[in-house]
Amino acid sequence: MSSISKFQLSCKFLLPILVVIPMAISCAPGGGSTNSTSASELSGTEPAKGKIEVVAFKGGYGIDFYQQAAKDFQAKNSGVSVTVTGDPHVWEQLRPRMVAGDPPDLMYPGWGLDHWKLADEGQIYTLDKALDSPAYDGQGTWGSTFEPSILKLGQKDGKQYVLPYFFNLQGMWFDPGVFAKHGWKIPATFDGLLTLCNQIKAAGIAPLTFQGKYPYYLIENMIIPWIQDIGGIEAVNDLQNLTPGAWKSPAVLQAVTMIDTLNKQGDFLKGSVGLTHTEAQTAFLQGRAAMIPCGTWLHSEMSATMPPGAQMQYFLPPMVTGGKGDPSAIAISIEPWMIPTKAKNPGGGIAFFKYLTSLDEAKKFVIQKATLMSIKGSDQVQLPPTLVEPARLFHASKTIYSYIARQWYPAQETEIENALTSMLNQELTPRQFCDRAEAAADKTRNDATITKHHLS
Amino acid sequence: MFISSIKPGYEIVSSPWSLPNPVHLINYSKAWNENGLGHAFTNSILICVGALIILLPAGAMAAYVLARYPFKGSQIIFGTFLGGMMFPFFLVMVPLFFLMTQIHLFDTKIGLILVYVGFSLSFTVFVLTGFFQTLPNELAEAAMLDGCNDHATFWKVMLPLAKPGILVVGVFNAIGLWNEYGLALVLMPSPQNRTLPLGIANLASTQQYGSDWGALFAGLVIAVVPVLAVYWLFRNEIHRTMMAGALKG
Amino acid sequence: MDKDSIRFSPAEQTALKRADSHKNPRRKSKRNPGRSMFIALYLAPALILYAVFVVWPLIQAFQFSMYRWSGLSNQSTMIGLDNFRALAHDDHFWNALKHNIWLEIVIGVLVVILSLVVAHALIAKGSSVKWLRGVILFPQMMSLIVVAILWMFIYNPQFGLLNAIFGALHMPGDQKTWLGKPDTALAAVGIAFAWYAVGFYAMLFAAGLSGIPAEVNEAAELDGAVGLQKFFKVTWANLWAMKRIVAVHLTITVLNVFVLVFIMTSGGPDRATDVLLTYLYERAFTDSNFGYATAIAVANFAVAMVLTLIILKAIGRDPTEARDFKRLKT
Repeated sequence: MSSISKFQLSCKFLLPILVVIPMAISCAPGGGSTNSTSASELSGTEPAKGKIEVVAFKGGYGIDFYQQAAKDFQAKNSGVSVTVTGDPHVWEQLRPRMVAGDPPDLMYPGWGLDHWKLADEGQIYTLDKALDSPAYDGQGTWGSTFEPSILKLGQKDGKQYVLPYFFNLQGMWFDPGVFAKHGWKIPATFDGLLTLCNQIKAAGIAPLTFQGKYPYYLIENMIIPWIQDIGGIEAVNDLQNLTPGAWKSPAVLQAVTMIDTLNKQGDFLKGSVGLTHTEAQTAFLQGRAAMIPCGTWLHSEMSATMPPGAQMQYFLPPMVTGGKGDPSAIAISIEPWMIPTKAKNPGGGIAFFKYLTSLDEAKKFVIQKATLMSIKGSDQVQLPPTLVEPARLFHASKTIYSYIARQWYPAQETEIENALTSMLNQELTPRQFCDRAEAAADKTRNDATITKHHLS
Repeated sequence: MFISSIKPGYEIVSSPWSLPNPVHLINYSKAWNENGLGHAFTNSILICVGALIILLPAGAMAAYVLARYPFKGSQIIFGTFLGGMMFPFFLVMVPLFFLMTQIHLFDTKIGLILVYVGFSLSFTVFVLTGFFQTLPNELAEAAMLDGCNDHATFWKVMLPLAKPGILVVGVFNAIGLWNEYGLALVLMPSPQNRTLPLGIANLASTQQYGSDWGALFAGLVIAVVPVLAVYWLFRNEIHRTMMAGALKG
Repeated sequence: MDKDSIRFSPAEQTALKRADSHKNPRRKSKRNPGRSMFIALYLAPALILYAVFVVWPLIQAFQFSMYRWSGLSNQSTMIGLDNFRALAHDDHFWNALKHNIWLEIVIGVLVVILSLVVAHALIAKGSSVKWLRGVILFPQMMSLIVVAILWMFIYNPQFGLLNAIFGALHMPGDQKTWLGKPDTALAAVGIAFAWYAVGFYAMLFAAGLSGIPAEVNEAAELDGAVGLQKFFKVTWANLWAMKRIVAVHLTITVLNVFVLVFIMTSGGPDRATDVLLTYLYERAFTDSNFGYATAIAVANFAVAMVLTLIILKAIGRDPTEARDFKRLKT
């Protein structure tokens, strides 16, 4: 159509004009100055009043709990109205609101919004002062009601930006019924694991599977714990602090080689590298694989499709003999709740969250949603069976940590995950993986536009 | 897919290709009621119909002018409509959000309808212009000679002739809008305004965490059936139009 | 004079215009001032809606490419063309573009060939064809998300249809991870796309085929041309208009492929299926670098324009035009 070619020509002239003129008059994002901490902090002592808007990620635990809590809160506080909305892709809706400066009063955006960037750009309050204010039930400060090791994960440069609510332990799972039937035992060492894998293979079952489409499952639940095992928590901290050479350390190389060994020996279910989390987890529950790495959300995620008779039990990746690390160390992850600086009723947001994090509410959440909470004493209840072992190990642990660098440096993390996928496809050797990971860390180190974090 | 929608959850993943045992029709009522798909269904219908009512006349009028009354700059205008097909929507997501909030049409059905019309105009004008260009001139001429002005010629003579083309464009647009997800997600966040694709995504994501495959597939079936129905109803017209070389450029 | 111009067919009009482009008077207002009102009035609704809801946001969006902006707040820094400079050196960008081009060529040709074959079947006579007509647009009825999920199911290494077929036929390659291995992933996604797209283009080609006047076909057959020969010498040339539409539409669609890749592989494994839009999405939303992502979009737009221009130049003019003109003169 000749009309099309004419369009092409006219566009050559028009487009530049169309771009330049509006630039002078439009409402393009304003070049504001960066303000990393807001001038006034929240006191946390404001009584709840008016309208409070809460937006939360609607994931495995839904938002019905928060909505019920909102109703209860309203009943206890006259003149207050609390609305809770949410969506599985809630960050898509929150993003434009953040840009437009119209955020909710309390938000839990899920994993799709970079809250550390928000902190950098002064879009969320620091909450230290609020944590010093009295807790909901008046006993001590609000901050003291949280488990300190978990609370720390919401801090940047010593300032508290996000608060944890429920938290997850990373680890591995097996089916005690299946193991009992075959007389297998969870090994205490990696060598024991290799032997066990051979036994399992002899029975015609794949020893392990993993959520290949999302390599961070392998990284957070097996590789990082093994790095801690071999090189101590310092080895993991080096990675997170972008210490030069950290990714080429002997601990990292050995941990990655362990995965490579399992892979080359055929201990992974065939096709794992392309499986989604539900596919891999289903394979595990159907008995096609004996063990799987996953966080403590596994049960709640899979309960509707668990074949009758399937069970799951948590265990930590088997130790490496002669490792420097703490055998009781556990990796955890939190889901962040925050108060935006442009919220209309931040005091209300804090008041409601104080209620949500009160001991009674936290206990209810543990029972209803079968997950552990960051509130001290919240697991002093009749725990659902799958939580018993994680809770026990958590309390017995001397080192609680989290691979939080994954959130700090997303571009680097993508590159590392890609390298792992290639290694699992046997396109890279473990050493080459380390080289690529180190190169990615280098890039991050040298990029001045990326904010660096430091683990204290 | 249809078979899966009536199976209980775990059977789907263990024996995906077998027939259901027992038949689990409750999946449908679950999807419709518990997951709000019934509501989303009505919203989608309202929005699609609303959009078409504005889109088709506006598009036809513009296409008619562009096809038969060329003037200086008409090529540029045509090209601008064409260019709209060339970019991904999430590029304009943020400016669009600003715009809708500023004119107070954010999170409203009428707002989404207007946005949908805007974005569907590219394809509609593209196709209908080509269509109008192939209609015989003699009829228009005859109408003019009979004393019709341009308006009357269009509405009384040319538009009825264009019915098949408009029907085809209408059906394709309807299907596209029915399945549209991205814009609705950003511009219609409240649950009561949700369209069907959003409802299904909601269900699918909750399913990912709760693995309720049965309800998910039921939801997918609910989404696809109207589309298939519309297509089946109009299939003869569609085929006839396409066969008649109506799209010759 | 308006009346004169109306007597020529559109093809002849364009031919005339091309010959006489400098001399054609403005038909607009000289003879009929009411006409310009008419034109304006009829264009207005569509144009206004389009300008407000599409063009204006798009212009604003393109401006973002000159800023460093996270997309999370209204804070941004003007950095001019830095994003574009970085883009030129960005291996991931060129890798993604490479995949788009691969899809354009390989899947593009596949789709065109398949559509042509199906198109010929569609205009054939016979009752079995009715079934084909009913089913051919079926994939297009589904949203792309559903198509992606469906094909992921088919490609599933454990219980997917494809591996089941391979297994049943005892062919090598059962239990293969089609989407998880770099050498098969892109082709696997491409095939899903082809399945989805063929119906639409087959329809277009069928329309084009039935638009070829019967005399042309008869003449060719009288000349002894048959089957493939007939196709290449006669049919293909006469499909010029449809070729253009299909080529342009298909090119743009493949360039902008997103949903299928995103859902099936997210651009993996290790960027083996990364395309322009998945890379854009990653930069915008995972890395919170909206400014850079918009620069990618501008580049995408530019590539689309260039490709469209090339196609339009390559697929020439209406070969039947000259013939019509001659007929008119006699």
